Amino acid sequence: MSGLRSEARVALAIARKDALAELRGRHATVSTLFFAAIVLLLFGFALGPDSARLAAAAPGLLWLAIVFAGILAVSRLHLLETDDEALEQLALYPVARRAIYAGKALGGLAVMLVLGLVVLGAVGVLFAVDIGGALLPLLVTVVLGATGIAAVGTFYAGVTVRLRAREVMLPLLMLPVLAPLLLGAVKATSAALTGDPFGELGSWLQLLVAFDVIMVAAGAATYGYLLED
Amino acid sequence: MPQTIYVSPRSLGAFDERPPAVVTADLARLFAGSPALAGVSLRVEPGATVALLGPNGAGKTTLLRLLATVIRPSYGTAQVDGLDIGREPELVRVRVAYLSHATGLYDDLTARENLAFAAEMLGTPEPRQRVSRALQDVGLAGRADDRVRGFSAGMRRRLALGRILLGSASLVLLDEPYAALDADGMALVDQLLTAWREAGVTVLLTSHAPERLAVTIDGSVVLDRGVVAETRGHGVSELPSALDAPSATRPQQVVS
Repeated sequence: MSGLRSEARVALAIARKDALAELRGRHATVSTLFFAAIVLLLFGFALGPDSARLAAAAPGLLWLAIVFAGILAVSRLHLLETDDEALEQLALYPVARRAIYAGKALGGLAVMLVLGLVVLGAVGVLFAVDIGGALLPLLVTVVLGATGIAAVGTFYAGVTVRLRAREVMLPLLMLPVLAPLLLGAVKATSAALTGDPFGELGSWLQLLVAFDVIMVAAGAATYGYLLED
Repeated sequence: MPQTIYVSPRSLGAFDERPPAVVTADLARLFAGSPALAGVSLRVEPGATVALLGPNGAGKTTLLRLLATVIRPSYGTAQVDGLDIGREPELVRVRVAYLSHATGLYDDLTARENLAFAAEMLGTPEPRQRVSRALQDVGLAGRADDRVRGFSAGMRRRLALGRILLGSASLVLLDEPYAALDADGMALVDQLLTAWREAGVTVLLTSHAPERLAVTIDGSVVLDRGVVAETRGHGVSELPSALDAPSATRPQQVVS
């Protein structure tokens, strides 16, 4: 138990450090939010002014914007560790590797939650979707989706952080793995916005929970190998 | 800067009772098929201060990185305080502190925040006091709340040395500790070496300025093209290689 408490302390210290660096440098938040806004606007322009069409496409657009911007966010958060070989120093501390993973994933989750909530609000305004009527299921979907993206993103950002072509490799590696999450999140959002007429919301949320549990467990078990040369 | 630098107290025990600080047996590391370290067998006594000397590419940094568990050996073994670096890296990391060429600091955090984070990672008792003391010891108390982004290379080096003071390592590995430091900074490294010696901490350091080290080291190892060319002084000795047997093969021969 004391081991778990110690790991939780380490994870929180890493997440706090990332949050502090992010608040000072705004490496991830600003670029990520701008990117998400541009994605939403471009998709909106591509679909045209038909409000019914935009509302029908809103769940898909919401999650495409979150996923694309999320990839950028986790990549930026890991770049903090490449300045002056900080990742090597992090690996030298006598702490559990899974605690390092958990700390980096928590930092990623914090940024993803901010991103998810802002994008959700933006979709409501830009595409005239009533998100107030289904706020709770939408928030649960955003939290579960953000957790999955942070879990997968932290692992693959660790894989690519030392590569020169990391900006290209990260989406190539992440997007296929995120396909089930994207499907579940879009379906859950769509069901929540339409009042869940077929009673499928629970099933899609269960898929997201299962995805998150598997990805967090896999990331925690394997991240340590990425820190070794 | 205070007269005495605070180093974590440790139970020294009788000199003979402590296991060797470092034992390596035919330790080798290949990079892209080329041996950076080609079979090094050494014994370093506990509490000794030993310099690793040799030209660029001799394998000094590779040996330090192997002992710090940053990289894994391609061949051979090494033990720190009797713990195998390959099989028990987590336990080795508790005992080892490493200053590399890079300082591993976060630019957007202040000097104090960087050390406070390190103290949390190291589980340092009374972290606030220890961080303040370490900043004072390395001469950065006046810049404690400035972001590291504005620090010179020498100040970053001092701060990285301060980070080592937060732990309770029994083996300190320093890669070119005098690099980027001014005269005061070099004197600080000398003071640290003295403090570690008095605390019974073993120190392995590389340097291209052996004349600077003459009064602070017990012994030295000269490496050349990945092998031990010579050992001098006390506290370090070359061990016989198991690969010297007629049927054995050295890593260079394996590669060729």
